[in-house]
Amino acid sequence: MTNIYLPHLVTIEDIVEETPDVRTYRLVFQDEKMRESFSFRAGQFALYSAFGAGESTFCIANPPTRKGYIETTFRRVGRVTGTLADLNIGDTMGFRGPYGNWFPMDSFHGKNLIFVAGGIALPPLRTVIWECLDQREKFGDITVVYGARSVQDLVYKRELEHWNERPDVNLVQTVDPGGEEPGWKGKIGFVPTVLKEAAPSPDNAVALVCGPPIMIKFSLQALGELGFSDEQVYTTLENKMKCGLGKCGRCNVGDIYICKEGPVYTTAEVKNMYPDL
Amino acid sequence: MLISKEGLRKLAEKLLGEGVQVAAPTERANQPVYAALRSADEMALEHQIARNSFKEFLFPQTEVVARFTISKGSVHLASAGAEFPETVVLGARPCDAASVASLRSVFTWKGEDDRFFTGRQDKAAVVTIACTKGDGACFCTSVGLAPDSPQGSDILLRPTVSGGFRAEALTERGKALVAGADGIFTEGDEELAPVAPPPAAESADVERILGWLSDTENYKDALWAAHAGKCVGCGVCTYVCPTCHCFDIVDEGRAFEGERRKNWDACQFDHFTAHAGGHNPREKQSQRWRNRFMCKFHYYPTKFDSRGCVGCGRCIRVCYVGLDITEMMQKVTTKAAISAQPSAKS
Repeated sequence: MTNIYLPHLVTIEDIVEETPDVRTYRLVFQDEKMRESFSFRAGQFALYSAFGAGESTFCIANPPTRKGYIETTFRRVGRVTGTLADLNIGDTMGFRGPYGNWFPMDSFHGKNLIFVAGGIALPPLRTVIWECLDQREKFGDITVVYGARSVQDLVYKRELEHWNERPDVNLVQTVDPGGEEPGWKGKIGFVPTVLKEAAPSPDNAVALVCGPPIMIKFSLQALGELGFSDEQVYTTLENKMKCGLGKCGRCNVGDIYICKEGPVYTTAEVKNMYPDL
Repeated sequence: MLISKEGLRKLAEKLLGEGVQVAAPTERANQPVYAALRSADEMALEHQIARNSFKEFLFPQTEVVARFTISKGSVHLASAGAEFPETVVLGARPCDAASVASLRSVFTWKGEDDRFFTGRQDKAAVVTIACTKGDGACFCTSVGLAPDSPQGSDILLRPTVSGGFRAEALTERGKALVAGADGIFTEGDEELAPVAPPPAAESADVERILGWLSDTENYKDALWAAHAGKCVGCGVCTYVCPTCHCFDIVDEGRAFEGERRKNWDACQFDHFTAHAGGHNPREKQSQRWRNRFMCKFHYYPTKFDSRGCVGCGRCIRVCYVGLDITEMMQKVTTKAAISAQPSAKS
């Protein structure tokens, strides 16, 4: 009988300092068999542990098309993330997962995709963006609208540069008013406003939205005004989790356990939930 | 088949002699409490119901799930909980016995078994004594159970007029227990003592409650804040509740070695759902109280296909601001009945 709470040991192979308080870790399973057999789908999450401090929930931020490692991006906020952020290359962490559902990638084939993200919420969409770029021919136009409070708070800066240069990606970057720096070539304004200006067409399109609650709220409104239906818009929900397995009683939104039945939902599904977000 | 009170004592003695963990009502600080017996004489069966439920023998308050040591450049991790004690719960009440299936439904949900629960429960037998009386807080009859319901019991004992019990082995586990207890159970029959079902919350109807709770609009009903306004969020209702299953997973220990533990937690605590970033989806105590009520009467039956409340009444007995879940059950039933009536407009 397996111990569902026992993590796998992983080694930190690489660290990227995204912002002063956000880090991306590349993790490799210490067990060779796990390294070979591990697979996941875009949108799934995991429990990451700093031994002695505990576990935290983050998404898996690399695409399933890149195998052999896991990447995760997190902000230093509390005890666990603080301890994790103090680790170095070569150190050991714990990993349990993958958990939760995923984006229905097959149903996106042939469609135009609009990604809308704010701040630290780009990681759950980055996995999808790279899965699409790795199989570019399967998808239509790809638009990414990404914003943060300031230039400094943008994550994956090197990848943003790369997407910006690619002719097959339409990247719209923005920072909140006051967050710009000399030489900033992106837009200045809140994500929902910039999204409305970019005005992606809802025809044969799907939008994926991730960000802080207030950004999600107004971005959904903007997409509605642009003619997107609730079934065309996906988001991922976040709540505090301890087990990731539908038992610890924490992440439920009314009768929905995000850890098992989410975190990926259409706006139509979110609107049917108990108002408990 | 019959067993006397002395027979029950002998059964406990025999099991203890075999190294079996026997959980039974005892007296601790003048209060009836389910505890692991050190001797058969500790058993105290004359009380109506123990202050705690016996869930801690299947789902301990704190439990090591893994041990780790951290050395330079590496971590050694060892799984815990491969062996669990053989356990007999002796003198359970029918409400508590019925709760075992509820906990199991959560800990095996979607085929992911929490072996810390299943490993214990698979090695546990429940010997239940039917109730001949209830107190003012009992309401098993309001949730579809009865003072002598057999759900979850391996052996059901019904008190007889002479002070003994009529015994019925309901499962293979129960039959094995009887077979192994030579001369303790005897053949024969006796007249049963009368059963007095608890009258509480007679107007509460769990089907109607489920229907009302299923309407997401009612989530915002003024009833929630009005009823739960005085709740102080101490969480004691969840600790004594036989079906409350929430837990935390935490690391404890010194700098270079420690344990990962699964500890009871409570949806009534203010930080239970608080995000590290500051947002809390259940910020108000009335929202947390609503969550517990919803869990009992909506989430359990619809998600886990089991009973969320067994009517033991413990949350009522221990609440020191006097919140009574059956009052809310009655209010909701009334609301549901009103909204079920054809609208005057149509």
